[in-house]
Amino acid sequence: MNLQDPLPTRRAALRQLGCGFGYLALAGLAAQEKARAAVNPLAPRPPQFKPRAKRVIFLFMQGGVSQVDSFDYKPRLEKDDGQMLDFDDSREIAKTGKSGAQRVMKPLWDFRQHGQSGLWVSDLFPEMAKHADDLCVIRSMHTEGIAHGPATLFLHTGSTNFIRPSMGAWVNYGLGSENENLPGFVTISPSLGNGGPRNYGNAFLPAIYQGTAIGRAGLPAKESTIRNLRPARSPEEARRQFDLLRDLNAEQLRRKPGESELEAVINSYELAWRMQGEAPQVLDFAKESPETLALYGIGEKDTDNFGRQCLLARRMCESGVRFVQVNYGDNTNNPAWDQHSNLKKHGEHARAVDRPISGLLTDLKQRGLLEDTIVWWGGEFGRTPYAEKNGTGRDHNPNGFSIWLAGGGVKRGVAYGETDEFGHHAVTDKVHMHDLHATLLHALGLDHEALTYRYAGRNFRLTDVYGNVVQDIFA
Amino acid sequence: MSLRPLITAASLFALTGAAPAAPDAAGLEFFEKKVRPLLAERCLECHSPDKKVKGGLRLDTRDGWLKGGDTGPAIVPGDPDQSLLITAIRYKDRDLQMPEKRKLPDAEIAVLEEWVKMGAPDPRIGGAVAKKQTGLSLDDGRKFWSYAPVKQPAIPAVKAAAWPRGDIDRFILARIEAAGAQPAADAAPAALCRRIHYTLTGLPPTPEQLDAFIQSATRNRQSASSSLVDSLLAMPQFGEKWGRHWLDVARFAESSGGGRTLLFKDAWRYRDYVIESLNADVPFDRFIREQLAGDLLPAATPADRRRQLAATAFLALGPTNYEEQDKQQLRFDVIDEQLETLGRAFLGQTIGCARCHDHKFDPVPQRDYYALAGILASTRTLANYTDNVAKWIAAPLPLDGANEGALREHEERLAALRKELDAAKAALAQASKAATEATSKPGTPIAADSLPGIVIDNTQAKVVGEWISSTHVRSFIGQDYLHDGNARKGEKSITFTPAITKAGRYEIRLAYAHAAGRAKNVRVHILHADGEEDVFVDQSLPPPIDGRFVSLGKFRFEKDGAGYVLISNDGTTGYVTADALQLVAEDAEAAPDLAKDTGPDAAGKRAAQQRVKKLEADLKALAKDGPDRPTAMAVRDDDKIADTHIRIRGLVKQTGELAPRGFLRAAMTEEAPALSPKESGRRELADWIADARNPLTARVTVNRVWHWLFGAGLVRTVDNFGTTGEKPSHPDLLDHLALRFAAEGWGMKKLIREIMLSRTWQLAVAAPGGSDPENRLFAHANRRRLDAEQIRDGILATSGALKLEVGGPNIAQAGDVDPNNFSAQNIEYSYVFADTRRSVYVPAFRNKRLELFEAFDFGDINASMGHRNVSTVAPQALYFLNHPFVAEQSKLAAQRALAEPGDDAARLTALFRRTLGRPPSTAEAEKCLAFLASAPPAGQLDAWAQVQQAVFASLDFRYLE
Repeated sequence: MNLQDPLPTRRAALRQLGCGFGYLALAGLAAQEKARAAVNPLAPRPPQFKPRAKRVIFLFMQGGVSQVDSFDYKPRLEKDDGQMLDFDDSREIAKTGKSGAQRVMKPLWDFRQHGQSGLWVSDLFPEMAKHADDLCVIRSMHTEGIAHGPATLFLHTGSTNFIRPSMGAWVNYGLGSENENLPGFVTISPSLGNGGPRNYGNAFLPAIYQGTAIGRAGLPAKESTIRNLRPARSPEEARRQFDLLRDLNAEQLRRKPGESELEAVINSYELAWRMQGEAPQVLDFAKESPETLALYGIGEKDTDNFGRQCLLARRMCESGVRFVQVNYGDNTNNPAWDQHSNLKKHGEHARAVDRPISGLLTDLKQRGLLEDTIVWWGGEFGRTPYAEKNGTGRDHNPNGFSIWLAGGGVKRGVAYGETDEFGHHAVTDKVHMHDLHATLLHALGLDHEALTYRYAGRNFRLTDVYGNVVQDIFA
Repeated sequence: MSLRPLITAASLFALTGAAPAAPDAAGLEFFEKKVRPLLAERCLECHSPDKKVKGGLRLDTRDGWLKGGDTGPAIVPGDPDQSLLITAIRYKDRDLQMPEKRKLPDAEIAVLEEWVKMGAPDPRIGGAVAKKQTGLSLDDGRKFWSYAPVKQPAIPAVKAAAWPRGDIDRFILARIEAAGAQPAADAAPAALCRRIHYTLTGLPPTPEQLDAFIQSATRNRQSASSSLVDSLLAMPQFGEKWGRHWLDVARFAESSGGGRTLLFKDAWRYRDYVIESLNADVPFDRFIREQLAGDLLPAATPADRRRQLAATAFLALGPTNYEEQDKQQLRFDVIDEQLETLGRAFLGQTIGCARCHDHKFDPVPQRDYYALAGILASTRTLANYTDNVAKWIAAPLPLDGANEGALREHEERLAALRKELDAAKAALAQASKAATEATSKPGTPIAADSLPGIVIDNTQAKVVGEWISSTHVRSFIGQDYLHDGNARKGEKSITFTPAITKAGRYEIRLAYAHAAGRAKNVRVHILHADGEEDVFVDQSLPPPIDGRFVSLGKFRFEKDGAGYVLISNDGTTGYVTADALQLVAEDAEAAPDLAKDTGPDAAGKRAAQQRVKKLEADLKALAKDGPDRPTAMAVRDDDKIADTHIRIRGLVKQTGELAPRGFLRAAMTEEAPALSPKESGRRELADWIADARNPLTARVTVNRVWHWLFGAGLVRTVDNFGTTGEKPSHPDLLDHLALRFAAEGWGMKKLIREIMLSRTWQLAVAAPGGSDPENRLFAHANRRRLDAEQIRDGILATSGALKLEVGGPNIAQAGDVDPNNFSAQNIEYSYVFADTRRSVYVPAFRNKRLELFEAFDFGDINASMGHRNVSTVAPQALYFLNHPFVAEQSKLAAQRALAEPGDDAARLTALFRRTLGRPPSTAEAEKCLAFLASAPPAGQLDAWAQVQQAVFASLDFRYLE
């Protein structure tokens, strides 16, 4: 699907209608709806085929969670703990073309089977483990990029180095937004590092599809908001000034009749005004019950911050935002989960995210939202099953790692794919990051090969020339 | 998935010669029974034309696997080990594993091995087709309008002979008349004045300039316009506005962005180079040569040399991911980015499309891509290919006359001192060699203070648990060493806490007493300025340094900062020992303290050491006092000049045939010049691009200027003159302008002036519509949105806060960047955009942008961009309504208005004239005055600020008539 043709500029759309907004005011309600759809590039668009899910929440574990300490149980690591064995270390190979012996390191957390499904989850995530029967763990992920920057960009844009639109921008382009008063793609507390804004950028897609950042990494979620949303003056004064602007614009437009582009600018002020009214309500938790806040761990030291991010994600989903990314990370070169040494620190991060994520799943479920929302949990890569430089941490591992999906029509309580006996390389039912992108688009009713945009003389897509939909994970 | 080359190109050739023998009956039976079904089930989904032909490999015919895919023949009959197909299914090679998702069962692998071994009998004859160049052929390409030579068109005749002011108008009017349309009226003088000012300088006219122009335009419009254009072309603000256009094309930025964003501290020199070049009207062909090969061109003066070196930053300031671990990959990614940028900027070509395969639409075979890539592969853009995080090249710049002499003298003195110091160090080393050998010989104790650097003996360490003193192993430091008695594991530790008096990187060395039964995995925990680290030490091995120490690595420590080294016996088997810790500054030469030395020639050694110390102090003092040599981001020719190989499917390690260095053959009018084996070829590349006979360069350039002046090019896809781009609306006018531009010396100001003084450019704006809704006839002016910089600079000019300093560095804290230092990005992330200089000087970071730029379509500075998007979105409205910048500047502007003489109506007129270049209409004045009247007397300033803010937010501020 190339949407460029059915997605005209405001100017072109109004030209086709042969009239401006003045006419619209006189037309019937149905006509208004139709006209708005033509004018608003964010108007909801039907998917290409019947979707399983309407929206995505991506819980980004920045830095790379260790799969062999969380969702990929490998008894061999316990057996061979401390042994020096040969591994293909991807960083060494990239740098020197060869690799050598590494010290096997057993998981620091015990694994158990959970729920009816008997899914293996370690004690690192005891709360998520309670949702074992809702999860579809993909244990055979592999990706591109050995360092954070390239891998994080690849995760978001399908390219380690080229400037490409973020997945959320593609989804926004493909499906539009269900709420015209809110952006269709929101990223909560994104990092400035490792690609920064490129991770939610529109690249060559129209700017309207870019992600709207709410807060940023390092800033308390409590203080995060959409920029420029609140007038500095009292509501009455703001209203008076807005009325003056309306009057000036109406007067200026009167002298240039038939200028649809100018009408679009006026329309953008009207939308901004409505956003000022609606968006703060979405950001405001005042009406949430104490039980709900507790569910997310809000108000407790370890979980307050990420809990707020997760609750905001649910509220965004309820309000019709199509793609919500929740970031657990920071602005450094060694983001949050990046335990090159002292792997025990994974425990701190797990304490911060485990309960909020569990709460989010419970909450989505009890509100019936999980049925058509895909929750995607994971990082840009995983970690090595051996100790880095014979130390106490694990290095990056793009060759095999785990993520999970829940809701939105994916199978429940299953593990898909396998890594080798050490949890190092994906070997069975391998799922490349391109495949995951294709699969998620598929769940939303979009064909990754047909969702294209023509730029610089050729059609671009999220998955470049790659990607296979993993049909087996759908129920 | 990436495929590693397994066989060289040469051996491939040899192998393809081996045709399979005719299959015998048994072989055919084996194929039919075992192989055919297996191939059908496991392989053909991706390797037959019915579905997909992945990697160009067909397995549905014998010729298919014989020819093979992108990586060459898939099967060598009779030799499984040489067959790529067998390598792939064995799953042993990490880069070549098929089927992609899951390894075949061993039994099936055995079947295929057996089949290949028996000579791969296969009755499926025919079907495979040889690969040929896809896309437009070179010959057909040369006939396409943009690759065809520029030709002098006839000046068309027009009916309304009095209308045109020059040839441009004749070309335009002829098309208008042919379409049966009418040109719009001339723009009103006030609108024209605002248009000329914003277009040439990016700033609004002052009310006085406005009055002066309207007056003189009433007398003679043409001479008024021409003298205004001339005077603005001579202002430094012209270069700032038009330099900004080129900076978009050059994807100018002051940090690398992407993974680990690094500050380009010298990028401002390129920005200034561009601004100065526009202001000095440097001919555009020279401008091209300087940016591509300035380092290779002769320079008459040091100033020229500085300009030319700074110009080559054009090739260096892309969004490079310096962190990429595979440095050859990084190298080719850099080349690709350079090709894409220069292709777009000068030639309007999407060359990058040919990295992986022949261009699908344009006459750019993959060979031409790698011919160009060879030129850039022979060019050095990265300082080295070894650092964990790579870096660009900071080229030293020459100074003028006396300054250069002084600097050189200073550098010579430094060099001489360094040489002297080296000699003194060598002498000291020689003198102390005997002493060092005597004292450091393993097996003898040594005093802690006889060792260089910071040494902490075990007696000064913090000890937890019971440690036992011993002198059993004799090579200890001080009076003894400690061991844990191989008991109470996990309960004992020793912590060394060094007192750091000078921040820097230190090598940390641990002394221990080794013996066969010692612990093999002693955990040593290091807390340093950049984090924590655990290192494991095998104490059963002898210490590698002098038989006493093992290096734990190099770490950074802050002066008086927290930092320690902890040795624990947790998790160990065998004795754990600890003797001393030594910290040697990274830049210090290890030199033993000879003060207590009483051996032979001790006095001589002491004298030698005194001399080293004195020279070190002298050097430091001299370096501190003397001038520093400035540097520029630049490229240079690499040490090795060579052609490069085609990379199959763009994979760096997958080399195909060699592509001799050269240019785009479709755009060449004659045979390529032979490229010097001693230079990269950038000079010739620049000559080819900047040649009047190049069919693309002049056309692309004049079209850009037209686009910047009208808001739409004659070819609206300004960056794409390929077959997927748009065709010119006025091909004859384009050629007319291109031909004259090149023939008359590539002068930008002349071209801009000529177009702006045409009647066409000075027409009034009209609503789009009629038979030409997109205004491809240029029968009227386009209503143009102020761009991000015009909005910001216009607001600042209106409020009076704008500072007009020209050029120079703009990021105060920017110093030399160590890409491997974790704090390298802090300047960018913590930067506060506060200054009120012109927008072109706002730091152009890639990961952190000025919010106004983000909101108002400044554009992505990661890629060359000749045409910014124009969007209308709610965040822009929110910016005008609520952003503190608009509110603050509105208040300043309101203060200016209130300081005007007269009543509120007169002040309001002044406010409107300054902001919009016109007085308020009656209705506007009425609304504003009513708004002001309803405000409380104490809130007058605030009320005026609100009116000002509304006027900034109004349509007439945001658009140019």
